[in-house]
Amino acid sequence: MRIDKNVEDDGVIFMSIKEKDDEPVSEKNNEKDVTILAIESSCDETAAAVVRNGREVLSNIISSQIALHTIYGGVVPEIASRKHVEKMNGCIRAALSEAELTLKDIDAVAVTYGPGLVGALLVGVSEAKAIAFATGKPLIGVHHIEGHISANFIENKDLEPPFVCLVVSGGHSHLVVVKDYGEYEIIGQTRDDAAGEAFDKVARAIGLGYPGGPKIDKAAREGNPEAFSFPQAQIPDAEYDFSFSGLKSSVLNYINQAKMQGNELNSNDVAASFQRAVVEVLAGHAVKACKEYGYNKLAIAGGVASNSALRELLEKECEKNHISFYRPSPVLCTDNAAMIGAAAYYEYKKGVRFGLDMNAVPNLPLGDRERRFHAGKN
Amino acid sequence: MKILGIDTSGLVGAVAIADGDLLVSQFSIQYKTTHSEIILPMLKDVCDKIHLDLSSIDAIAVSKGPGSFTGLRIGAATAKGLSMALDKPIIPVPTVDAIAYNLYGVEKIICPMMDARRNQVYTGLYTFVPNTPEGMSLERSFGMQVIHEQFATSVSEIAASINEIGKPVVLLGDGVPVYHDILEKELKVPYSIAPFHQNRQNGAALVALAMQYAKEGRMISSDEFAPEYLRLSQAEREAKEKEKAPSGEVESRKLEARKNPGIIRIREMTAEDIEEAANLEKSNLGKEAWTQKQLLDALTRDDTIYLVAEKAKRIVGLCGVQNISGDGEITNVSVAKDCRGEGIGYKMLKQLLERGRGIGIADYTLEVRKGNEAAIKLYQKAGFKSEGIRPGFYDEPKEDAEIFWKRKEI
Repeated sequence: MRIDKNVEDDGVIFMSIKEKDDEPVSEKNNEKDVTILAIESSCDETAAAVVRNGREVLSNIISSQIALHTIYGGVVPEIASRKHVEKMNGCIRAALSEAELTLKDIDAVAVTYGPGLVGALLVGVSEAKAIAFATGKPLIGVHHIEGHISANFIENKDLEPPFVCLVVSGGHSHLVVVKDYGEYEIIGQTRDDAAGEAFDKVARAIGLGYPGGPKIDKAAREGNPEAFSFPQAQIPDAEYDFSFSGLKSSVLNYINQAKMQGNELNSNDVAASFQRAVVEVLAGHAVKACKEYGYNKLAIAGGVASNSALRELLEKECEKNHISFYRPSPVLCTDNAAMIGAAAYYEYKKGVRFGLDMNAVPNLPLGDRERRFHAGKN
Repeated sequence: MKILGIDTSGLVGAVAIADGDLLVSQFSIQYKTTHSEIILPMLKDVCDKIHLDLSSIDAIAVSKGPGSFTGLRIGAATAKGLSMALDKPIIPVPTVDAIAYNLYGVEKIICPMMDARRNQVYTGLYTFVPNTPEGMSLERSFGMQVIHEQFATSVSEIAASINEIGKPVVLLGDGVPVYHDILEKELKVPYSIAPFHQNRQNGAALVALAMQYAKEGRMISSDEFAPEYLRLSQAEREAKEKEKAPSGEVESRKLEARKNPGIIRIREMTAEDIEEAANLEKSNLGKEAWTQKQLLDALTRDDTIYLVAEKAKRIVGLCGVQNISGDGEITNVSVAKDCRGEGIGYKMLKQLLERGRGIGIADYTLEVRKGNEAAIKLYQKAGFKSEGIRPGFYDEPKEDAEIFWKRKEI
């Protein structure tokens, strides 16, 4: 894996992620190959990728605006949407040129159509539809979280359903059984805050800033995870559901109290103890689900899946319980388009095609398919 | 020259195709539909009906803004996608210019106005100037002259600019029906309003103007194109305002308030206000009131905002919020008993909510005695929704607290 980075004049970071170092892209397409151009713009990364047969990433371009939003303490939807319009074409062009292909060689255009920020999603959706229409190629809408889950197919060429997947990101905390390609059963989800959201808020409260996940992860390495015992909520009657709101409040209350009483706050200890409480619940639920549902494969996905404490704990627990543990490399855990291309491939094989009336669906539910945009639905 | 035009800057969604001197097709819908769902199906319909081979298009014209931010991006991303896939340039057309071009040949002042909310409009001033083509005697051709480039301003400002020119004016655009009353009051020149077949965004006018631009070489590559919003995002505006707020502002406002007794001024609480504010709290809340020390404490923190309402040199209202990691906890809302029913609470709260965004508050929450109907009505008016009960939260008398939230709209 190699990442070429370039910071542009406006603070946006342009990245090209190569799976293998210095290896030229493999020869022209075989006739049976399916090559997909994928586009993602659901939050603050503009991304485009070319993916062959769902698992081979020919190019993976990410234009990250994270630096622009840091001063506001979180993603500003209007700023994100504006940047998407500016950056999208450059990303697509770079993705095609790195794959050494043109639009003619592409078999389908895939795009994230939800969930996410509606204004941001609309940029990718409008662009993808226009390209699909102008080139006459099929159009495939992809669920953002299904993309994250599918990142595992890129990283682990041997992974096939069924397996259990723990999806944790800024906006999502789901425990999902992947029954088959594109078939999902949600067995647990958050009742309130997503894990990533709790990370962001706690990070802000102890002055680490945005984005919270990586900053807490780093601070926690210097702290004592046993310093405090923050509550780990269990939901009665829904043993796989999560609740991070109580934990978050308890940490925030502790911080406020310490401030009021003028006590010195060891933010590394707070970060480490908070992180321990989150990852123990996440890992505990995930491993339990594997055992009770009888699956011996567990995968993780989403931004929080790159958290080192979560990875370590899951590795340990999976080994103890004879479960194979799969995880995408950190760069595939962030928002990217390669994962959208991976998910789209299996939809393509099933014959799923979207019409030009496809719209962005900001609260698109996982698993429950939005069929109203499918082509030929009448 | 064959040009495809797209306009999604306002309520109108339009596609048009012109080939040289011929308008081959136009399709326009002005209805509450989602541009993102209809614009490409509309284009596909048109292409099918006129058997258009898309690759025969020479350029894609698009309304570049101003307009609805989301609408502009749908048009821009669609145009950029088409432009990249077809490898054809983009002709960006200023939205207000394209609207003005509806009135070809009109030698009066032309003033399109797009509603930008809160008495603001996106507007510009234009007129058509006649020329006699070479070798002709009676024929006239008109060129559109831009008197004032498109910009964002208040309705009163643009009315004043029109008065200054002093010539009859034709008004058009979706801002006209919204601000008709203000215009009637403030315009000092004869004015007319264009009828509906020529008073909104129009795909045909857009491509007609784009044809002119094409001749002048005003085309760019798809990668370079981005909409022109004429306005910063709200977050950027707030950040800028915060930066430039002068320190003497509070003082000058105080002076002004003294000159105008009876007028209610909402301003930030200062240390000098503490004693009066604490007295106000006390007379309203008794034992539950915040003390001077608590108020002073709150004032000195950088994660709080405290506002007071001043009337005739007297503090008649107080409210405050503390930012707890993005959640704004509203700690106080108090209005002097003899000044209630004057809308002071709502005014304060509205300012508090707006200013809170500037210190990073996304969602607001507060607790209120379940039986305090007046307060609950105020919070509901300000957009708060009840999300639960905290049983027995208040003492003397024992009463449940109702928990209200105002969550950020995405």
